[in-house]
Amino acid sequence: MPEIESNSEKKVIKQQALIQLIVFRLGREEYGIRIEQVKEVTITPEIARMPKTPPFVKGIANLRGDIIAIIDLEERFQLRSTAEALPAITYTLAIEAKDYTIGLVVREVPQPLSIPVSIIEKAPEFIQDANIQDKYIEGIAKLDGRIIIVLDMLKLLTPTEIMQLQPKA
Amino acid sequence: MKSREQEYREIFMSEALEYYDAMSRHISELEKNPEDTAALNELFRLMHNLKSNARAMGYNQIGEVSHEMETIFGLIRDKEKSFAGTVVPVLFTGVDTLGAMIRAVGEDAEMPPTEDLLANLDRLVQGEEPILIIAESDTDEEAGRKLELSDLVYIQIKKLDHLLNLVGELIIDRDRIMTLGREIGHPALQAAASHLFRITDELQYSVMDARLVNVGSLFNKFPRVVRDVAASEQKEVTLRLEGQDIQIDRNILQIITDALLHLVRNAIAHGIETPQERQKANKSPAGRLTLSAQTERDDVLIRVADDGRGIDVESVRRKAIERGLVRAEVAANLDANAVRAFLFEPGFSMAKEVTEISGRGVGLDVVKLAIDSLGGQLRVESELGQGTIFTLVLPTSIAVKGALLFELEERSYAIPLMHTDSVVALEPEELHVVGGTLMARIQEENVPIVNLKTLLHSGDGPLPAAIHEDLVGRQRIIIVDYNNRKLGLIVDRFLRQQDIVIKPVSKPLDTIDLFGGVTLLGSGHVCLVLDVPALTRLFLAKRP
Repeated sequence: MPEIESNSEKKVIKQQALIQLIVFRLGREEYGIRIEQVKEVTITPEIARMPKTPPFVKGIANLRGDIIAIIDLEERFQLRSTAEALPAITYTLAIEAKDYTIGLVVREVPQPLSIPVSIIEKAPEFIQDANIQDKYIEGIAKLDGRIIIVLDMLKLLTPTEIMQLQPKA
Repeated sequence: MKSREQEYREIFMSEALEYYDAMSRHISELEKNPEDTAALNELFRLMHNLKSNARAMGYNQIGEVSHEMETIFGLIRDKEKSFAGTVVPVLFTGVDTLGAMIRAVGEDAEMPPTEDLLANLDRLVQGEEPILIIAESDTDEEAGRKLELSDLVYIQIKKLDHLLNLVGELIIDRDRIMTLGREIGHPALQAAASHLFRITDELQYSVMDARLVNVGSLFNKFPRVVRDVAASEQKEVTLRLEGQDIQIDRNILQIITDALLHLVRNAIAHGIETPQERQKANKSPAGRLTLSAQTERDDVLIRVADDGRGIDVESVRRKAIERGLVRAEVAANLDANAVRAFLFEPGFSMAKEVTEISGRGVGLDVVKLAIDSLGGQLRVESELGQGTIFTLVLPTSIAVKGALLFELEERSYAIPLMHTDSVVALEPEELHVVGGTLMARIQEENVPIVNLKTLLHSGDGPLPAAIHEDLVGRQRIIIVDYNNRKLGLIVDRFLRQQDIVIKPVSKPLDTIDLFGGVTLLGSGHVCLVLDVPALTRLFLAKRP
């Protein structure tokens, strides 16, 4: 309700669209996903390990009757040493990709956050260039000394991108 | 339970009433705008359909009237007549009479008289003026007019799919409640749970029943296919259909449509000989092709049988060796069934020469894959010179399958019973290492055995050679059977046999073909369902 907001805030916000992010920690950095790409956040249900999948695919879990794959982005991006096991309770972000749902496992409770679109800076060219295939970093938001890496899940979650595996017979 | 006859009649009624409604609508449109060709074409089509349906059901009076009407609409369409003048009231009377006759069928009542109408229609066809009797009971008829709603509803298969999924969920929860009731030992809860059990069982049965369609709905498309294929191949073929009233899940029928088409085309193109060849072989010039369906326990068997030249086992055997599918010395000892199983190997069927020599094998692996995806089986019997029979063994319903549950590394897995041959526990002395693979003699047959753990965790390379010393204590082995190949899987523990509801593995993990799906157990645990065909292929690819 804009009426309640103070005048000074209003000025800033008025011409700037806000986006809502779900922010979570991976390794040492904070990452954000646009809220419309997140279906729900839940305590990670029991995961059944699936043989013949790469290690960052934690397995499959039953999320309200939907069987979804659960992946660990920390392991996928090598953001933590593999020796470090996941804590007993983790959280899962159910992400709505184009034609399926997938779970991202995170260690801490993800938080919602509204930021103006304008503070999202494009990722430096060299990061983009380094991974021509995967331009899933939409940008980097700076906010009160915090740095939030905004991911474009739809690009990250193309089946080929996630799987990159095919350990088929 | 309704009789077939009654069911057919209900279907006829619902369609006929629908046609009647559409006719009334279109003829009114045509009256407003006689140039409306869309309405005219539609009327022509509706008359034609009603005629065919009525004749098939033996309602000849309806057939006759709709035939005459069709003729007149045809004349109007061809601009030989126009929808004007005295033609109009006659045609309106015709549509009304058809409606009355359809209603009479529904009520098992006497058919209304049609002589005057038919005479008038006939006069129109001859180009004469009809004799119009001014119906003095016009107002009466208006008052007596009934609006009919059909007793049948059309429903999108998507909605039924959703319903079936929900029932699947319900069954999983029911099992969970049953388990809880037993664990807690609360009598009232147990009583309620067993009541829930009965109701969900019945609900599941009803939903599955609602999805059943006659095999005939697919079979009846084949006379035309056979005619066309036979004509282009310059063969003579008589087609016989049997068991059209056997019922099967609509989606299963959908999935096997292409497979069946393939088998029928193959049978005509490669199985059945030309009339000249047949006469030389002392056969009737027209080949016989039979499509039949029958039920066997919970399965539906669909057969495609021809009396053509059959499959030449020896040429298949030679090809299998050439393709490197089997070593020559092994191939020499394989029986005919085992050799024919090679026909379903991917790649094998691509061999064009096989088509020419033995007459079979184009894309049979595709057929096989379709059947596999349903958890069904594909069998082939053939006698050289006498013909070939392909048998599709299909589940009646997709939703529920019998499965064997077992444990491996403290996780539950399931294997569909369709592919399980037997379950044995063997002492290490009964297992032998032959060429790096474990072997056991089971029911007079040498069966390769592999530790499922090793198979599932194997990397890209071949499996490590089996070492006999690794076997400690009794080995629990599930013998699976796929395409006439037996394979023993060592597991940690047998659990039980259970009906399971299989959910497909969602993307992106659906590329892992080792698992045919997942199921949720009563305990709420997710249980992977192994796909025996993929597992067998993996073993063959990776064996040391």
